Amino acid sequence: MPLTLDSQSLLLLCSHLGLPTDPELPPLTLREWNPLARKLQAASLRPADLLNLSQQDLQTKLDIPTEHATRITKLLERSGTLAIALERLNNLGIFVLTRADKDYPERYRQRLKDSAPAVLFYAGEKALLGQPGIAVVGSRHLDEAGQECAKFVGNACGLSGQVLYSGGAKGVDTLSMESALEARGTAVSVLADSLERTVRSQKEALSRGDLCLVTPYSPNAGFSVGAAMGRNRLIYTLADYAIVVASDAETGGTWAGATEALKNNWLPVFVLEHEAMPDGNKLLLQKGALAFPHPFRDKPVKLSEWMNEKAASLPPKPNQPSLF
Amino acid sequence: MPTTSPKQHTLDLLRTMLGTHADFRPGQWDAIEAVAIQKKRALVVQRTGWGKSLVYFLATKLLREQGAGPTLLISPLLSLMRNQIEMAQRIGIRAHTIHSANREEWDTVETALKENTCDALLISPERLNNERFLQSVLPGMTGSIGLFVVDEAHCISDWGHDFRPDYRRITRILNMLPKSAPVLGTTATANNRVVADVQSQLGADLLVLRGTLTRESLRLQNITLANQSERLAWLVENLPKLPGSGIVYCLTVPDTERVTGWLKKKGFSAEAYHAESPDRPALEQSFLNNEVKILVATVALGMGFDKPDIGFVIHFQRPGSVVAYYQQVGRAGRAVERAYGILLSGAEDDEIQDYFIQSAFPSIETMNQILAALAKTEGLPINDILARVNVSRSMLDKALKLLEVDGAIGTAFENRKTVYFRTPNPWQPDIERIEHVTQLRRAEQSQMQDYMAHTGCLMEFLQRALDDAHPQPCGRCANCRSKGLPKTVSHELVIEAEAHLKGASIPIAPRHMLPAGIFPDHKRKILPELLNEAGRSLCYYGDAGWGTLVRSGKYEQNHFSDELVEAAAHLIIDEWKPEPFPVWMTAIPSRRHPELVRRFAERLSTRIRIPFHPVLVRISDAPQQKTMQNSSMQANNVFNTIGISGDIPNTPVLLVDDILDSGWTLAMAGWLLRSHGCGQVFPFTLAQATARNS
Repeated sequence: MPLTLDSQSLLLLCSHLGLPTDPELPPLTLREWNPLARKLQAASLRPADLLNLSQQDLQTKLDIPTEHATRITKLLERSGTLAIALERLNNLGIFVLTRADKDYPERYRQRLKDSAPAVLFYAGEKALLGQPGIAVVGSRHLDEAGQECAKFVGNACGLSGQVLYSGGAKGVDTLSMESALEARGTAVSVLADSLERTVRSQKEALSRGDLCLVTPYSPNAGFSVGAAMGRNRLIYTLADYAIVVASDAETGGTWAGATEALKNNWLPVFVLEHEAMPDGNKLLLQKGALAFPHPFRDKPVKLSEWMNEKAASLPPKPNQPSLF
Repeated sequence: MPTTSPKQHTLDLLRTMLGTHADFRPGQWDAIEAVAIQKKRALVVQRTGWGKSLVYFLATKLLREQGAGPTLLISPLLSLMRNQIEMAQRIGIRAHTIHSANREEWDTVETALKENTCDALLISPERLNNERFLQSVLPGMTGSIGLFVVDEAHCISDWGHDFRPDYRRITRILNMLPKSAPVLGTTATANNRVVADVQSQLGADLLVLRGTLTRESLRLQNITLANQSERLAWLVENLPKLPGSGIVYCLTVPDTERVTGWLKKKGFSAEAYHAESPDRPALEQSFLNNEVKILVATVALGMGFDKPDIGFVIHFQRPGSVVAYYQQVGRAGRAVERAYGILLSGAEDDEIQDYFIQSAFPSIETMNQILAALAKTEGLPINDILARVNVSRSMLDKALKLLEVDGAIGTAFENRKTVYFRTPNPWQPDIERIEHVTQLRRAEQSQMQDYMAHTGCLMEFLQRALDDAHPQPCGRCANCRSKGLPKTVSHELVIEAEAHLKGASIPIAPRHMLPAGIFPDHKRKILPELLNEAGRSLCYYGDAGWGTLVRSGKYEQNHFSDELVEAAAHLIIDEWKPEPFPVWMTAIPSRRHPELVRRFAERLSTRIRIPFHPVLVRISDAPQQKTMQNSSMQANNVFNTIGISGDIPNTPVLLVDDILDSGWTLAMAGWLLRSHGCGQVFPFTLAQATARNS
């Protein structure tokens, strides 16, 4: 798979590929990359042009402080190790999308703007990223209603040609994804860790093109709470609708993700409503989430139509241009 | 930067390495300038001994002086670079090697990379896919890779004479590098077609630097002799006429051992050198010091081995291609005025080459079976694959390598084992590529046949075959001078050589481990009280000693001759003398030739005066053992088909079979006998199959 020079430059600057784990030379964070991207745009330059700039050029042409310019130069120097690491990943079925790629999910650009991840690693069918679909979120531990709902939504997506978006974790994520795939549907899992390992267990759906695994973290990264939290927004912002199956109140990743989605008005957020629902569900309903009845009273294929009608009242969002 | 010109400065460095009177050889400075000054991609095609290592170490030195990162040198033949590394130290180049056998040094290398005190890192192509190397060693490197050096760069092309799947990985990596990263490919031999192909893969701006191939000191001669005995006799008559020390190349490991045994018997200072030789570095060193005069070697003595005063290279058998031949014969005469390159050829050469060609690639069916086995799991260690797919270990290794380079499978290190798993990448057999490489091998073989029969100048033939720009008659080869070493040998010596071939019995090492997956609840180690004793075979199947008699006995007469009974008895009684001597004899039963082995064993038992008891019986009709391709399949096959009938004496037994293939038949039969109360089991077979251990 050919890598554009723009992408190569972004990978060198913003990914951990080919870097040691101890952060003597950390890659640029989004907070560091975004101002640099703005400077490039102002100077009518592309990320690829960085590969041909000396440290001196960075300091004079782009007005970057010495210390920062040194770090950028060092990061850009590692093209050899990057090439070797990337070749191995490609061989394992893992590829790269950067904000400079035209295939980078448009929804991330539009909804996340500056905070859209600079680099994504993915396996499987990348065309699924941002296709019409429904996100399912919720905790790993589910009551019976939650389990049924997760399976129902997965199945409904499979039957109606909607992509099922989830976080690839145990519990609600796995249940809904498996139901979607069993119904010969498609799914996208936004992983917080272990892409390399997950590719091995999902190789069949991946090779059929029914599944895409994607992550902004290193393909061999282990689990971390921070990553799991940071990943939630990347699930919401790919989908048309989200269903929160079960959430704690005022605490935990599901709560944080759902309130963030509501606040940013990225998409209509539904919450599973039933007699024994958790407190978090009730609170989210109060905060403006739409009620999703349990059990659903229509055929599974009617799900997205139903959601569309329910969400009609919500105002559309304005657009802004985006950075690399 | 130094104040002198870069060229003068580099020459000074060269002289520090080689002495004050040294100078650049033609082309050396051009290559250094291309990568170290102009930062280009260059391919250097120069004969062995021209000084390619000098070029990349000097280029490394210049680049490091400019502040560049270390050089990454990728070579399949690392073990042979010790001399070059020592030489590089003289100009302060700190080179480190990382390979599977020096894990204890990896930490040191990691530190050196981190502290930027490693100037050149030498790795094998396999390292590029090693998790630890990629995730911990390489990322620790401070700064960039200053220069990529790809040794044996002809492997980048499928048209090259040796096919190494790993080089496709190297090509992909080089193509992901920015154009500003210097790359140096080196090879001793690449014809125009290979050069053009490498150019098309690495970019049209690749600078090709090509030197002449001829070696002024070399006197070539080709001699056809009917069989191995004649060639052994020829060696003894002619080696004393040749100057200094030299190499005798053989095609197989058993051949190197047989030739060495013969030469030692006749008073020559000779040692065998092959991939399984213990302590190869020590062997190389004593050859370099002229303590050993003759190294009898397989291709394991490969590129990078540099001994300037080699007086002769003799090929006991004909190599597979002109390129391979030229590289090997080119080791002679680097720094001596007169050296000899003698190619001996005989009847078995084509048979051996055909086998190499046929077994070069695993079948598509095998590849698909491996993928099917892996698709059902999240990953399997190699033993579990062998238990599911009927393929030999060496063929499985080839198949896994190809599939891995194709991205169809990946590896991970888990629970102290390498686990192979299927990736989601699609895989299609590259039938065209396989056919194309196979055809190329056939064409190379027929070109060697033409060379053998060539009546014109031999050096000129080689130059033309290798696309040298200026081929011309050398005036030195046996054809140019119409004379050379004798093409006949004395009859007495031939008879003696034949006796040597027939007298050299071969040990059978007992199998200590059960193959994986046979008895899931058993330990794999065979209990000491159930092990066979060490055994003996009379010969290698089909070889020039007794081997041809065994073959015709088995497949033409369905009867092993009295000569073989006599030879077996002589070996057992006079040479082997197992202790305690067996009290009775039994034989491996066969469905297909039920009488052949039994009748032989009965005659042998009469001859050595111990009774024959046919206590081993077939219990079902199994496929022939030789169709079972790996240990697990073989042992299972034996185990399901051989049983015990009648009482087993508790005394030592001689266990007889005709041809030893995997060793599992004997191991499992012995295991059965011993677990039924038998005394020690001494295995004997007429022959050992060579194909799998050559």
